[in-house]
Amino acid sequence: MSDAAETVLVSTAALTQRFGSTVALDALDIQMRPGVTGLVGANGAGKTTLLNALLGLRPPTSGSATVLGLDPRSQGAALRAKVGFAPERDVLPDEMRAVDFVRHLAQVRGLPRSEARTRASDSLWLVGLGEERTRTLGTMSTGQRQRVKLAQAVASDPEMVLLDEPTSGLDPTQRTEMLTLIGEISNEHSVSVVLSSHLLEEVERVCDHIVALDAGRLVADGPIAELVGDGEGITLELVDIVEPAGTVDAVESALRGTGIEVERTGTTLRLGGAGRDELSDRARDAVADAGARIRRLEARQRTLADLFEMDSFEASDS
Amino acid sequence: MSGTAANDRHEGLDHDGPERGDAGASVADPEAQAAQILDQRYRSYSGARHGLAGAMRAVVASSVRFTLGFGRPARHKFLPWLAVVIALVPAIVFVGIAIVLDIDLISENILPEYHQYYGFIEVALFFYCGIVVPEILVADRRNGMLSLYLSTPLRLWSYLASKAVAVTVTLAVITMGPLLFLLVAYTVEGSGPDGIGDWLTVLVRILGSGIVIAATITAASLAISSLTDRRAFAVIGVILLLLGSQIVTGLLVEVAEMDPRIYAFNLGEIGDALKDRIFGVGPPSPLGEDDGPPGLRISELSTLFVIAVNAAWVAAGAAVVWWRYRRIEAG
Repeated sequence: MSDAAETVLVSTAALTQRFGSTVALDALDIQMRPGVTGLVGANGAGKTTLLNALLGLRPPTSGSATVLGLDPRSQGAALRAKVGFAPERDVLPDEMRAVDFVRHLAQVRGLPRSEARTRASDSLWLVGLGEERTRTLGTMSTGQRQRVKLAQAVASDPEMVLLDEPTSGLDPTQRTEMLTLIGEISNEHSVSVVLSSHLLEEVERVCDHIVALDAGRLVADGPIAELVGDGEGITLELVDIVEPAGTVDAVESALRGTGIEVERTGTTLRLGGAGRDELSDRARDAVADAGARIRRLEARQRTLADLFEMDSFEASDS
Repeated sequence: MSGTAANDRHEGLDHDGPERGDAGASVADPEAQAAQILDQRYRSYSGARHGLAGAMRAVVASSVRFTLGFGRPARHKFLPWLAVVIALVPAIVFVGIAIVLDIDLISENILPEYHQYYGFIEVALFFYCGIVVPEILVADRRNGMLSLYLSTPLRLWSYLASKAVAVTVTLAVITMGPLLFLLVAYTVEGSGPDGIGDWLTVLVRILGSGIVIAATITAASLAISSLTDRRAFAVIGVILLLLGSQIVTGLLVEVAEMDPRIYAFNLGEIGDALKDRIFGVGPPSPLGEDDGPPGLRISELSTLFVIAVNAAWVAAGAAVVWWRYRRIEAG
């Protein structure tokens, strides 16, 4: 294992946060390493509370945390100078120009004025808003405003950035672009990222590690590669053709007749109960016999969604 | 592309070897080989960081700019600068009169003395505090900047202290600016204080009274502004406090002939009273000689009482702001 992988950026020990009788964080023992860490859980799972605790914004009820080797409770100011943060809430003053906003936050995080000015511009170029940097924030789209939040988080050259739901409000294309950008910031500029999200799919797409919370409890913690991987069986998706009619039904019954496990959703058949080669051969024969047409035939991967379904994890946006 | 450039490129196809401006020429050119890309865009930073002091300076500077409307649309510049103009215009007029008439107008009691000029400033001060100051706190809560500030080295106390300094500085422009202008102008014109000692004494009194009045009204304005996220409510609240306290205490003391210590609740009068003490202005007339019944004048309050009340206003304002923001932070 590399040194980077062995380095622990964030560790918590029995970290607990209570609000009255509500347990927001329940004795969490977490370790986060360099790279992109996905902090995933349904709304109300405790993601934002954990980020606040890691920034030292709210002292925990019990337990402890260490971030970049510093104690958030006693060394909060020093810690926050090293960490960039983009909150979920829309925090951009409409009348300010993007470059002024980013420069101001860089200065507040300790950069000298001239350096902050340069880096504000550079950060906005980094997030793809170089040409738009002198526009006022109120005239920007949701996607651009999310990028500005990212730019202010990285402008002071932090060792780590905490991004709370950075894809909130974005359409699928913008979401993909934002995730690509986050990956680039981590890979090309060596800034570790903690990405909070309630969407497993986007965490799986960009993160190296995952910390999953459910109602304040730790559900999973580790490298995504170890948590997901090759699953079993194949997925066969057929085209729903008119002539000949009933081809999907015919393929399904033919496969069931050979003892293969078939789970059907519309025109998609999930096949299991045998080796992949055998399943592929049987599927091919059944499709040929029925005169059906294949839209997709692929080996099934186990996803984070599969993993959390097994653990009864509610990953959907509630 | 110009026609000449297009022709040059086309003619170059007939030549052997690389053309001028061609990539191949760059490879052959030693200077070009030594060229570096200097614009690296986003990169790491290993220079100095200014920590909490730098963060507070940045917030103070940004808040002063915000309050005075710099970097904001014109409609946000109008009100703060109108307040400055209201405060400054009488001073400019007085200086103009002094220059035109060429006599010592202060000695002749034709122009107001320095402490008397606060009557003109008070209008601008109330206008500025009522309309402009509430925005300095309310805006950060309304647009969420407060949560972003607290994710930096700033803590609640340092954020609020930076805001208070910013308001005090801008208010000091109004409370001190016109008087400093008068002092310099009267001095140049020949109506100023006699000798360097007197001149410095007046300067210190202007600065001291300006800071005292600005601090007292800042604390009260920020306290009201901290209680609501709606700028309109904050504006009404500050105006009610400033004007309402004048009217109510005035009625109680002057009409109902109650104890003049009730003026402690009159923000304008109590600041004015301390200013008079700083300028060494005592009771204007023996008790009972002036119009109005004896024992009902604010100038008869003891200096210690006046100082204590002003300090209490600042402390109470700070306490309200702190209590309110602790609740916001806890929420």
